Amino acid sequence: MTMAASDPGLSAIGDSDDGTGIVISGLSKTFKTGKGSVTALDNVNLSGRKGEFLSLLGPSGCGKSTVLRILADLEDPTSGTAKLHGESPAAIRRKHQLGVAFQDSALLPWRSVTSNIRLPLEVSGVKVAPNAVADLIKLVGLEGFESARPAQLSGGMRQRAAIARALVVNPEMLLLDEPFGALDEMTRQRLNLELQRIWTERATTTLLVTHSIGEAVFLSDRVAVMTARPGRVQAVVDIDLPRPRTPAMQRTPRFHELCDQLSDLLFGDAREGGTGRSA
Amino acid sequence: MTTVMPVIPGGETLRGMDTSPEVSAAAPAAAPARSFGMRSLAHSRRFAVAVIGPVLLLLVWELLALTVFAGKHSVPTPVGVVRSMWADRSLYADNAPTTLREAGLGYLWGNLAALGLAVIVSLVPFLEKTLLRIAITSYCLPVIAIAPVLNIVLNGDAPKATLAALSVFFTTLVGALLGLRSADANSLDVVRAYGGGRWSALQKVRFRAALPATFAGLRIAAPAALLGAIIGEYLGGDSGLGIAMINSEQALEINRTWGIAMFVTIVALFGYIITELIARWLTPWAPRSSAASGRSFRR
Repeated sequence: MTMAASDPGLSAIGDSDDGTGIVISGLSKTFKTGKGSVTALDNVNLSGRKGEFLSLLGPSGCGKSTVLRILADLEDPTSGTAKLHGESPAAIRRKHQLGVAFQDSALLPWRSVTSNIRLPLEVSGVKVAPNAVADLIKLVGLEGFESARPAQLSGGMRQRAAIARALVVNPEMLLLDEPFGALDEMTRQRLNLELQRIWTERATTTLLVTHSIGEAVFLSDRVAVMTARPGRVQAVVDIDLPRPRTPAMQRTPRFHELCDQLSDLLFGDAREGGTGRSA
Repeated sequence: MTTVMPVIPGGETLRGMDTSPEVSAAAPAAAPARSFGMRSLAHSRRFAVAVIGPVLLLLVWELLALTVFAGKHSVPTPVGVVRSMWADRSLYADNAPTTLREAGLGYLWGNLAALGLAVIVSLVPFLEKTLLRIAITSYCLPVIAIAPVLNIVLNGDAPKATLAALSVFFTTLVGALLGLRSADANSLDVVRAYGGGRWSALQKVRFRAALPATFAGLRIAAPAALLGAIIGEYLGGDSGLGIAMINSEQALEINRTWGIAMFVTIVALFGYIITELIARWLTPWAPRSSAASGRSFRR
């Protein structure tokens, strides 16, 4: 197996996992454009444990969202395979074991908060306890806004509703595509703290796509660093901070060390990242 | 001679009523200077503007009819027209139901066909090009040209209802297709990620997302259906407003001819407003169309 990075101190791909969570091998995706084609992903390899919080960190345009969309069965890979808990994305999707949230809350404007959160239940036919939706609303801190329409909510509240919607089918797998990416820094910090709390309660296998180093370190068990054009996983870094994570942890030397390590991978090795160019 | 005149003033008045509130809104004199909250002030101002516009229009018409067009026997006064409408009430009772039935049937079937086709196209995108080409052809066919053909092929009300249906079909189809396509891609992704297929996407997202644009088409369809039915009647039939209009015109009953045109305009306007009200009730989240709500680009 060829490594994109073999620096000491980095966990090699496939090292600290048993391949029971997300397993991606040789994944490539080429988009056809008017004149030719664009290689979004080029031989992406990644594998993780069941119940692990894995982040995909990279600059915009590195194909990290494409990886997530392939895992959600919203996009087909050009070559290679993706498996979730040993099954294909299509199979997992049909079994209604996925929870998704995107940068855009994608709430339906004509539905109330409760009704929006219930949408996945209506689509999938999954039955949950009668008070499950009310509990979720409490979990994400939207009590009192049950019958509000999305237009009456702030951006942060809309994303809370989107997270609740992602959790309503009790998914085996959570796919989060920069769910707080469009929010202001303060709201984002607070929601990350809450996401961490919610995730700790459930320990669902989670893939978070993000371009924020701090966010990736704060939330993840492991962070996969991607490079752009063509999109590749450059390295995977273990985040050995204890759980539950607290805001105070963001001021520890270890937190900063990990952030620096990821910045080096993202920016320091720009020259190496550029050699993989194949147009 | 005022051969086609009765139809044109109808259309003119309709458009005049759409825009005149916006136009005269520029004159601040229309606003009553009361001190009860901005909102109710804006409301009463809007109301005043909506009333003053048409009243001014009627006044100008009355004056022109009494001065410039006096003695020409082509432009009657509004007062005269309204008087003749009251005198002719039995004529309307005899003829209006026929026209309304034809227009209503055409509105129903033309719109049902358009909405059905829009749904089929969104479920089977493969058919889109072929079906849309047929639809565009139907729109390009001059109604006047196919009316005689329909009169030969069909009997009774059917040719008129068919013309009304053809008049509404394309605008509704375009509105519905635009609406179905306008659904938010992220919302569609969400439905798909939870195991939903095309039908779920249509049911949960696209139908509702399509309503504002569809109603934009349906609003135009209401007057269009009426116009289609009347054009059908021009080419023959036993009763109907179109026939009454031709008869009164040939009998040089100027007031009656204008009266029928006014009546048709008002009925068409009602159709438009009722559709608009239903649209507002069904799509409270959508931006309002300016014509009937008094909102516009100014603010």
